Amino acid sequence: MIAKAPSDPTELRDHLARRDVLRGAALLTLVLGVPAHALVANPTGVSGHQMALLRQVCKLVIPRTDTPGAGDVGVSEFVVLALDHGLLGDGQADHLVWLEHVLGANFATIGAAQQVDRLGAIDRAAFPAGPPPATPSPWRRIKGLILTGYYTSEAGASRELQYELVPGRFDPDLPLHPGDRAWSSDWTAVDFG
Amino acid sequence: MAHEFDAIVVGSGITGGWAAKELTEAGLKVLMIERGRDIQHGDYPRETKAPWDLPFRGEGDQTLYTSDYAVQRLNRHFTEFTQDHFVNDRENPYVTADDTRFTWFRSYQLGGRSLTWGRQCYRWSDYDFGANARDGRGTDWPIRYADLAPWYDKVESFVGVSGAHEGLAQLPDGKFQPAMALNVVELAMRERIRAKWPERVLTIGRTANMTEAKPDEGRANCQYRSICARGCSYGAYFSTQSSTLPAATKTGRLTVMTDKVVEAIDYDPATRRVTGVRFIDTKTKARGMATARLVFLNAGAFNSVHVLLNSANAAMPHGLGNSSGVLGTHIMDHANTLSGLAEVPGFEAHTTFGNRPTGIVIPRFRNMDRLDGRGHTRGFSYQGGALQSGWTRGKREAGFGTDFKHDLREAGAWRMVLVGFVECMPRATNRLTLDRTRTDANGLPLLKVDFAFGAEEHAGMVEAHETAKEMLEAAGGRFLFGSTEPGAGGTAIHEMGGARMGHDPATSVLNKWSQAHDVANLFVTDGAQMSSSACQNPSLTYMALTARAAHAAVGMLREGLI
Ligand SMILES: Cc1cc2nc3c(=O)[nH]c(=O)nc-3n(C[C@H](O)[C@H](O)[C@H](O)COP(=O)(O)OP(=O)(O)OC[C@H]3O[C@@H](n4cnc5c(N)ncnc54)[C@H](O)[C@@H]3O)c2cc1C
Ligand code: SF4
Repeated sequence: MIAKAPSDPTELRDHLARRDVLRGAALLTLVLGVPAHALVANPTGVSGHQMALLRQVCKLVIPRTDTPGAGDVGVSEFVVLALDHGLLGDGQADHLVWLEHVLGANFATIGAAQQVDRLGAIDRAAFPAGPPPATPSPWRRIKGLILTGYYTSEAGASRELQYELVPGRFDPDLPLHPGDRAWSSDWTAVDFG
Repeated sequence: MAHEFDAIVVGSGITGGWAAKELTEAGLKVLMIERGRDIQHGDYPRETKAPWDLPFRGEGDQTLYTSDYAVQRLNRHFTEFTQDHFVNDRENPYVTADDTRFTWFRSYQLGGRSLTWGRQCYRWSDYDFGANARDGRGTDWPIRYADLAPWYDKVESFVGVSGAHEGLAQLPDGKFQPAMALNVVELAMRERIRAKWPERVLTIGRTANMTEAKPDEGRANCQYRSICARGCSYGAYFSTQSSTLPAATKTGRLTVMTDKVVEAIDYDPATRRVTGVRFIDTKTKARGMATARLVFLNAGAFNSVHVLLNSANAAMPHGLGNSSGVLGTHIMDHANTLSGLAEVPGFEAHTTFGNRPTGIVIPRFRNMDRLDGRGHTRGFSYQGGALQSGWTRGKREAGFGTDFKHDLREAGAWRMVLVGFVECMPRATNRLTLDRTRTDANGLPLLKVDFAFGAEEHAGMVEAHETAKEMLEAAGGRFLFGSTEPGAGGTAIHEMGGARMGHDPATSVLNKWSQAHDVANLFVTDGAQMSSSACQNPSLTYMALTARAAHAAVGMLREGLI
């Protein structure tokens, strides 16, 4: 007999119970499933300009192609949520202030090619050849969160990549062809990169 | 004196479930008492969730983890999917000695860590049971492999362990279901390593994930999801819920109480027997007691020691069953680290399908028939596997934009991971005590852990690293990283010892039947009983010892000996 695993009510209860640790009504709304794009201003200290900048950066990192990009699936909101909960308080502002600073005040107004150049310089500096730098650039963390936000979204995980919760069998050796999409549900690969 | 029960089993984890099953099936009326909450089989709310269903996409609320799960979060198996199956550290504190780093990974719930464990099941051999006698460290085990072999048979058959027969003296074969397959890279590594070192055998992990269903027990075969610690409503891996609890319940002789923490075991100096347990309701804080003709202590090694120390009485002022004074001492955990990680070229056109819930194992090959270890006299082994990297590799690579996205769309390079497990010496200085100056929410004294690895474990780690590198490179791998530094004590989650078995009541707590030397109707059949640590995962051995002790206890009861 295979019992069914319920239950959305439990999930909801969990979320409500954790309400006290979720700072800010907007974040709570986000967690409870109001579409991310419904959020306009954000009371947790992220400015409108920072939010717009982050959204633009998300689009640059994972653009829309034949599948949605990071700008289409609420990744910037996830990054803000994760920063807010990952760095105990002021870390979030730090990271976004840093991003605003290094990208320059006029980032939104420069052309796409120039945006790529600027972000490219930051990216190359953050990921030098050889061992990771002793003081990692904040960009490593921001980019990591953008990737997490995208590849764990439904579109990123199941359209850009493939997702199968119940494979039902194990094939130890199959041919791999160029263009075959990887499995986002390969949890070991996710863990050990 | 009239007893309410024939036996009380303290704890419902891997060993408590076995004790309850064996004792009830032998006809005893049993109370199983568990400090954590009830979890019904199948009630695993996050089992089938996708990352996008969870607020933090599986990575969890780090603010909450910092405040409430400061230790548990350090464990790879602790995620947003599984967090409710681990203990809240803030609510369940313990203390460490000043220079001790010890991460104690726990699950306080019906089923204990049977829900969260890694399911690796390895027999111990006479290299292990003979280890203390051979180098004179610790106390000699009063049993050998032959004493346990039939109980391993029984336990494996019931648990459902899949694995491959290899005919190795250091890792005896068992009653296996058909093995899960090595993947293409592991298979090549096995052949390449064996070609150079015939005594080094890479084989599939022997795991309590079933490749054959047990329809009579309501257990399906594994669906290759590799999400086991969320709970498995297929019952395809061994847990108390999927396996021992239904069997015990079926007898009609089992009573289960949850949310009751046992604070102490009552002892009657006149009869020199324990009479039952005292407990606290963790919600109402009301106290209660239950009586029985015998007690099985299965609270998990460290918590069983806690109960024994906290059961000190006028007749036994240093703790129940502690006339030897060794109660709490000689605790162990395998020294454990990522010994080697390599990229394995040449398999770019190969991939796999499905998520196999086990890796590989390379059993020990040092210090067997001759002492050839460098700076240590015991064993080390590896677990790990080959995997094809996924999207997370993007977090350590330069790049962004369309090309980057296209690159991450495809599986990345094959990598081979070898995690070393080095046998831990039994040392009197590694010990548990009670800190009576501090108490938890139930008013119980906090457990204090004093633990450090010594020269032998460090030497073993160095050798495990060098040997991992040598094997990975000889097998065609490009070596990337490896460590010689063991994780904090507890990292292997094989904490054990504290109430060791031995021949001599003056130097050990338990006899060869896991029975207290001092108290004939008290049995401790979890990890606390271990006299040495071997380098294999220990839970299968705990289960076999539990089944054996239950059989012995029932015999003694019938003969009127206890
Ligand atoms: C992530 C993870 C991976 C692991 N992988 C493996 C593996 O691959 N192979 C292996 O062999 N082992 C593995 N282990 C270790 C394994 O889980 C333990 O060895 C095993 O669970 C021990 O069984 P136990 O019954 O002694 O304790 P537990 O399973 O921990 O159960 C003890 C129970 O007793 C309860 N309890 C404690 N104190 C009291 C009290 N005072 N009163 C009432 N109840 C109490 C607890 O709440 C708990 O439910 C792993 C553990 C973890 C966490
Ligand atoms: S991998 Fe197998 S045992 Fe583990 S959760 Fe999935 S079906 Fe159950």
